[in-house]
Amino acid sequence: MLSRLLVELAFFLNVSPSYRRTKKFFRNLLENANYPYKKFFDFTMIAMITISVYILIRHVKHEVSPQWLFFNNYIISIFFLTEYLLRLWLHNSISKIIIEQYEYDLYLQRSFNFMGAFKKIAASKAGFVFSPAAIVDLLAIMPFFHELRMLRIFIIFRVFKLFRYTKSLRQLLSILASKKFEILTLVMFSAVMIMVSSVLIYVMEANVPTSKINTLFDAVYWSVVTIFTVGYGDFVPVTHEGRVVAMMIIMAGIAVIAFATSIVVSAFTEKLDHIKEEKLIDDVSKMKNIYLICGYNPLAHEVASRLASHKNTVVILEKNHEKVVSAQNDGFLVLTFDSALLHTYHTMQLDFNTQVNSVILLHESDVLNVYTALTIRGLSKSIPLLSILEKSENRRKLTLAGIDEIVYTQELIGLMSKEISGKPVAFEVIHALRSENSGVIIEEIILDAAMAKHFFEVECQELFQKRLIVLGLYRGEMKKFLFNPDARMVVDEGDIAIVIGTRTLINEFKALLHKKVRR
Amino acid sequence: MIRDCAIIFGYNEYSKQIAQQIYLEYPNFVLFTMNESKRTQAKAAGFESEIFDLSDDWKIIEERFDPSRVIVFCALENDADNVFLTISLRSSFEDIAIIALAQDHESAIKLTSAGANKVMPILQITANIIVEMLEKPTVTEVFHEILYENSALKIAQITIPKDSFVVGKHLYDLDCSEGFDIVILAIVDHELGATFSFTSKGHNHHIDPDDILIIVGYEEKIAAFSKALGAKV
Repeated sequence: MLSRLLVELAFFLNVSPSYRRTKKFFRNLLENANYPYKKFFDFTMIAMITISVYILIRHVKHEVSPQWLFFNNYIISIFFLTEYLLRLWLHNSISKIIIEQYEYDLYLQRSFNFMGAFKKIAASKAGFVFSPAAIVDLLAIMPFFHELRMLRIFIIFRVFKLFRYTKSLRQLLSILASKKFEILTLVMFSAVMIMVSSVLIYVMEANVPTSKINTLFDAVYWSVVTIFTVGYGDFVPVTHEGRVVAMMIIMAGIAVIAFATSIVVSAFTEKLDHIKEEKLIDDVSKMKNIYLICGYNPLAHEVASRLASHKNTVVILEKNHEKVVSAQNDGFLVLTFDSALLHTYHTMQLDFNTQVNSVILLHESDVLNVYTALTIRGLSKSIPLLSILEKSENRRKLTLAGIDEIVYTQELIGLMSKEISGKPVAFEVIHALRSENSGVIIEEIILDAAMAKHFFEVECQELFQKRLIVLGLYRGEMKKFLFNPDARMVVDEGDIAIVIGTRTLINEFKALLHKKVRR
Repeated sequence: MIRDCAIIFGYNEYSKQIAQQIYLEYPNFVLFTMNESKRTQAKAAGFESEIFDLSDDWKIIEERFDPSRVIVFCALENDADNVFLTISLRSSFEDIAIIALAQDHESAIKLTSAGANKVMPILQITANIIVEMLEKPTVTEVFHEILYENSALKIAQITIPKDSFVVGKHLYDLDCSEGFDIVILAIVDHELGATFSFTSKGHNHHIDPDDILIIVGYEEKIAAFSKALGAKV
């Protein structure tokens, strides 16, 4: 009966949307670094740890009010206990284990093995309970530490919890963990040296009346202080034999320090690129309005420079390490990833629909651009895709891959050549407007209802007369360009005004339009 | 001076596109290639073609064309060859109009120094277009329509004749926007220099004969405006 209820409950929880939603919420809150509310949770935990440690320090020489002690001993502990239980819950899914056991037994036409399921649940939860982080969490909760003065020092376990909430500390631990073997060798070497020197100094000095080293503990203490090159000087060998031991251990101490330093430095050097990459991914995952450039080459450099000069956020994906270094030297934000792989975007935790403005495919190969386009289209149907076309015969393939805009340089040059040979000055004018090098620019202003209403009222002001050219209005719905509109024309909401003028004048025009709107 | 002869040097995807766009515009058109296989390809594509080398022997041009009526497109694949070709042509023909393609800005500077009248830096042009398409898609569309599509809206440059009614007037005194339904984008004011100035810059230019107006408008409006000026487009 109990088994049946358990199985039914497991099935219910497994499909319950509210249960899944709740679990997802807590998983994000505790484990997802990109979840917006996680940082608030982390700050709260860090604040509680800081308060705990402050109370511990304050309590050494001063009285602390009972309310604060209660808060420290119980409220914070309950908070930590809740977090511990939530982590235990999230570690794995009990309902899934029960269902798997039930389906396994059903397949073999056996009755549900309750004990088998229980053992599996216990084993999987034990994996969490005995993990170092969970042990620290548990020790940080125990309120009896705070009641017994001697054990109050165990509150310091709460400080270890900081590793959970600060990424840099976690990275430090992972870097050191990568040198586990070297650190173990160093510890073994130090331990052997301490043991040998402690015994030797004890044998040499313990029976000498003028020596302060009388016990084995004194000898071990002296050895540790000497080998790690601290040398307080409270215990010193007085015999010749003892001093010879001291000389040996001082030399060994230098080796220990050098070895320890080299381990830490080499660990950081090896992991530096990885850490930088992780930091970049983390930064990119929080960015908005990204122009994502796939592939780095001279054209990508030009495009990225222009976009960046207009204060746009540009992210480059390039798998070739040499090109990545080149892009980094050029000052761009570049990630060493293959833009054609789905894995790249999962690792980057990039949401195309909310974070990316456009994707620009600039690989020097139509094959690669098509492949990348299909990968991105698999993630977002609506993200604007622009690609360079290398060979004209591939145009249709790029269109079929879902690319919205195709730039075929050769065709562009052909069209321009016609203009440049027929109307060289006119071409120069257009080129100057496009490159924005002459101080005069062409800009499009999207008009909302209020801006549309006041458009000609502002445009007719003396400041803009003759100096601000309204080339036309683009009516999006009709896809029609209304050239040289006069003040009698009705401007609609959503119309795009194409204006030409100096940047200062256009900015002033826009500012006045907005001012009118606010009024 | 009317230039009615066009020569394209090199046969590749760029020169092919240029040839397709201009060969109908010029009664005398020839494509020069550096080897027989390219010449065969050019012929197969329907273009009259000849073989040339980068020596200083330009008899083939001297005999066939009047250099002052020729416009040359230097579209060799290699920038160094293009620079050499440009300097070689300029040293032989002072009056020839040279338009050269450059892969990047650095080569563009060298081509200008070598004597090209106009250089098209491919990389910069492509990058400008891409960025414009991303940031100002409507502007790109409008420009495309004005420049390349068969729409009635055009950009034109008009040289002011000596006896035009605008000579002696100031630019801002002209009421072209309402009167002729055209927009004056820029002016080449020879009093101030050989390059153009945007009308938006705020300088009220004094109009003299031979100044050039760069205007945008519908074809028939441009024709009416140039007729009023007594000029040819």
